[in-house]
Amino acid sequence: MKLQEIINKLTLNVLTVVEDKDITGVFISDMLSDVMSNAQSGNLWITVQSHKNIVSAANLIDISAVIVTYNKKVPEDTIELANRYHVVILSSPLATFELASRLVEAGIK
Amino acid sequence: MEEVKCTHRWTMIHVQTGFIITENCFQCNKTSTYFCAENNPPLEEHREGDHFWNVMESAQSIQFDLECDSCHTIVSFKELAGLMLCTGCDEKCKVDKLRKEFEKDRIWIYIACGFLPVKEVKPFSQEKISILEEYFNQRRKSSNSGIKIISYEMVDCLKNCYAEVIKDVGLLSLQVT
Amino acid sequence: MRQQGIAIEKIRDALKASVFAGEVLEGEYITDIYASDLMSDVLAFGKAGSLLLTGLNTIQAAISAYVAEFKGIIILRNKMPDTEILTFAKEKHLFVLSTDADMYEACVKIANIKGEVPVIENITETTKKPGIITTHTFFIDGQDFASAGIVSTQVKSILKSIGYDSLLIRRVAISTYEAEMNVVMHAKRADVFLSASDKEIGVIINDEGKGIENIELAMKEGYSTATEEQRAMGFGAGMGLPNIKKNSDVFKIESKINKGTFIEIIFYVK
Repeated sequence: MKLQEIINKLTLNVLTVVEDKDITGVFISDMLSDVMSNAQSGNLWITVQSHKNIVSAANLIDISAVIVTYNKKVPEDTIELANRYHVVILSSPLATFELASRLVEAGIK
Repeated sequence: MEEVKCTHRWTMIHVQTGFIITENCFQCNKTSTYFCAENNPPLEEHREGDHFWNVMESAQSIQFDLECDSCHTIVSFKELAGLMLCTGCDEKCKVDKLRKEFEKDRIWIYIACGFLPVKEVKPFSQEKISILEEYFNQRRKSSNSGIKIISYEMVDCLKNCYAEVIKDVGLLSLQVT
Repeated sequence: MRQQGIAIEKIRDALKASVFAGEVLEGEYITDIYASDLMSDVLAFGKAGSLLLTGLNTIQAAISAYVAEFKGIIILRNKMPDTEILTFAKEKHLFVLSTDADMYEACVKIANIKGEVPVIENITETTKKPGIITTHTFFIDGQDFASAGIVSTQVKSILKSIGYDSLLIRRVAISTYEAEMNVVMHAKRADVFLSASDKEIGVIINDEGKGIENIELAMKEGYSTATEEQRAMGFGAGMGLPNIKKNSDVFKIESKINKGTFIEIIFYVK
């Protein structure tokens, strides 16, 4: 499934420039160290973290996009860094579990 | 028989979760870091010889080794404290120059940090840095982008470096915000 | 109306989870899943009756789940909970399960349990009565580890019945819990005095005991005087005094060696 399709289906808020790409799966964790050891390239990363070091973790693994849940405010400097480094950041008002359920319904494995 | 050189395919093994503790001695202002695998790392002020160490930060992180799927060589990365993304904070820094050079091809510069103080720690071998770089690039499924890893010894001034470190701070805090 | 939810048994089966704490799963339901590795969020936003899904295999996960009145925790990626976590969980009647699934896989499997069952709340909403003043006194016995936490739980119930904001109640709960732990670990006994009005909530913990030798040191983050034995019992990993200060609006402390410690905490009602 493509990123743009997911953004549309789940009406996610777009916070940075978006480049469409293939999604390889979903990875949920609030631990950046977890991303480093377990996330897969092309994954959609769901987290409540919004500090700019998420850009660092995302690019190391080639994450397709980061979705910040609970409508957590993403600081300007994170968005700025993300745009500079071509990291897509999206946001959702949903709780992490709820968002995961919607992704399942939308057909993501 | 001629030995065929293995084109390694790396996997992360022996992943251990723990904390990177950053301490500062209030006598001589020396900063030291180390990895602690315990669940409850000691955070008290402690004395060691002439030093009076105060914990400045305790951040969650991991330690790991890399193993080649084909030849089963294991490379240890015990001296790796963490990886950080160069954000180009100092034009004069060699790392920033590299960053500018590679970013147009979407190759991101990551700095491999060893423990502190730099002078008291064994330096990274270029071979290990290359293996680490190889591992993360092999993990990528698309060829649109890549990473390049360099040692923290290349950083002009570590104390003022604004690279973004991949670590977790505050996840265990029991403060209701 | 009966409160429904997802049976913990079904979750255990769906995740092929091992149960480490919690004898009887039959008839136990949870009303929400909180998937998170950020404990301050769990404390602030978690709803009572939930199950915590987390990759964090630490005592802080258990403490957060307890204070937030969760039914239990599920630890991911086959991490084994240690004695500290299990002892604490058993004392506080928290379920502890472990699964080899990662967070997304666990969410998928739970979401697929016959679709999610809608929750029908049977708790009546209370509206805050203006100007209400209530006071309560409690007692804590030192070294009574089995009852440790009872006072903060009672304080929470009282504040809930008055109708304070849930975030405020959580702050009072975690602060009172920390103070209670300190009394159980280090003092002989204590009086706890709760006063609640429409302007502020005050908690006084006045203990009789050895007192604190160096308050400045005790106020340093990470400083712990918990013994190995106490840690093995599930205590000592709370952040203690600094955490009480961080969660409250006003924090006063006085101590006399061989007499005891007096702590007063105030929370402003907004």
